[in-house]
Amino acid sequence: MAELLLDPNIRCWVFLPIVVITFLVGIVRHYVSLLITTQKKAEITQIQDSQVMLRARALREHGKYLPKQSFLMRRHFFNNEETGYFKTQTRAAPAQNPMTDPSMLVDMLKGNVTNVLPMIIIGGWINWMFSGFVTTKVPFPLTLRFKPMLQRGVELVSLDAAWVSSASWYFLNVFGLRSIYALVLGENNAADQSKITQDQMSGAAMAMPLDPKAAFKAEWEALEICEHSWTLSNIEAELLESADFKFETAEEQNHM
Amino acid sequence: MSTGRVKTRVQKGEIIAYSESAVRNNAAIVKYCRTSMAALSGSTAGLLGLTGFYGFGFYVFSVLGLWVMLLMKAGTQWQKFFINRRSLLTHDFFGSLFTYVLFWTFLYGMVHVY
Repeated sequence: MAELLLDPNIRCWVFLPIVVITFLVGIVRHYVSLLITTQKKAEITQIQDSQVMLRARALREHGKYLPKQSFLMRRHFFNNEETGYFKTQTRAAPAQNPMTDPSMLVDMLKGNVTNVLPMIIIGGWINWMFSGFVTTKVPFPLTLRFKPMLQRGVELVSLDAAWVSSASWYFLNVFGLRSIYALVLGENNAADQSKITQDQMSGAAMAMPLDPKAAFKAEWEALEICEHSWTLSNIEAELLESADFKFETAEEQNHM
Repeated sequence: MSTGRVKTRVQKGEIIAYSESAVRNNAAIVKYCRTSMAALSGSTAGLLGLTGFYGFGFYVFSVLGLWVMLLMKAGTQWQKFFINRRSLLTHDFFGSLFTYVLFWTFLYGMVHVY
């Protein structure tokens, strides 16, 4: 394998700037997105609904530790035909189409502005400004399969696969600096674009507010068929038995 | 929200409870250590000019070193802080390998290619 001799100016004016630019753009993106995102405000009825659902589920799962009357009282509060919470509270079904909600639309636009736009602009700029350089060499041998991945912009058949072109070096940096961002900016930073794109993908399913009416109905049904069996009915006898046992062993030890 | 959560592990028929938020906090700190270790050892490998299998061997060596140091720091009480000792070694192995390779390539290029 013939060694290439690279001009040291390439190191100073291509190789190093790409690393610095990629890193600083990530930092700037983090702070810009902090600047323009708005904290999502939860409505009071939504919080109320979720708390009620939590309480109903706790009652269903751990009601066995309550005396029968207490359990029935609590269930009465939720399920009574006239005054029960699940029966009296009526919630309007949420808007089905997120496109009709203007605040949602603005959020999506902001996400695009902070993620896709810098990616396109900086990527295009790097490609235009630093294209066509062989910048560095990975210090381990690679197979020919990696050539199109690592040598974008430099199509030379005779070049060894270990050499990296400037455009590919940029992409290596974009993906490799992710954990460094986590180190520098903290856990949930906005510089990590791959995570945000994942959020956007699953966001359509997640952001859809679930219908409280249907949830109430399901919880009402589950509570309705929930049967109360008190697990602590023998607790005095069991406790006395175990205490008795310990007492006896302690006494035996004393005798010895 | 996460304060009430509890993770459990069964050992010799006994159930040991762990606080979920504390376990997560420990894992996050270990992840920071791991990233720093990968960056530092990658830089070292690049400066030393290691190539090929020596470089990857150096990565495995540094991961093992970090593991031993973490266990020494935790002492005999490691079960108090981590649920599983082996996942402390293997968790995120390839994720930090990427960081290692990036730093390795960067400093190798800076020092030895030109």
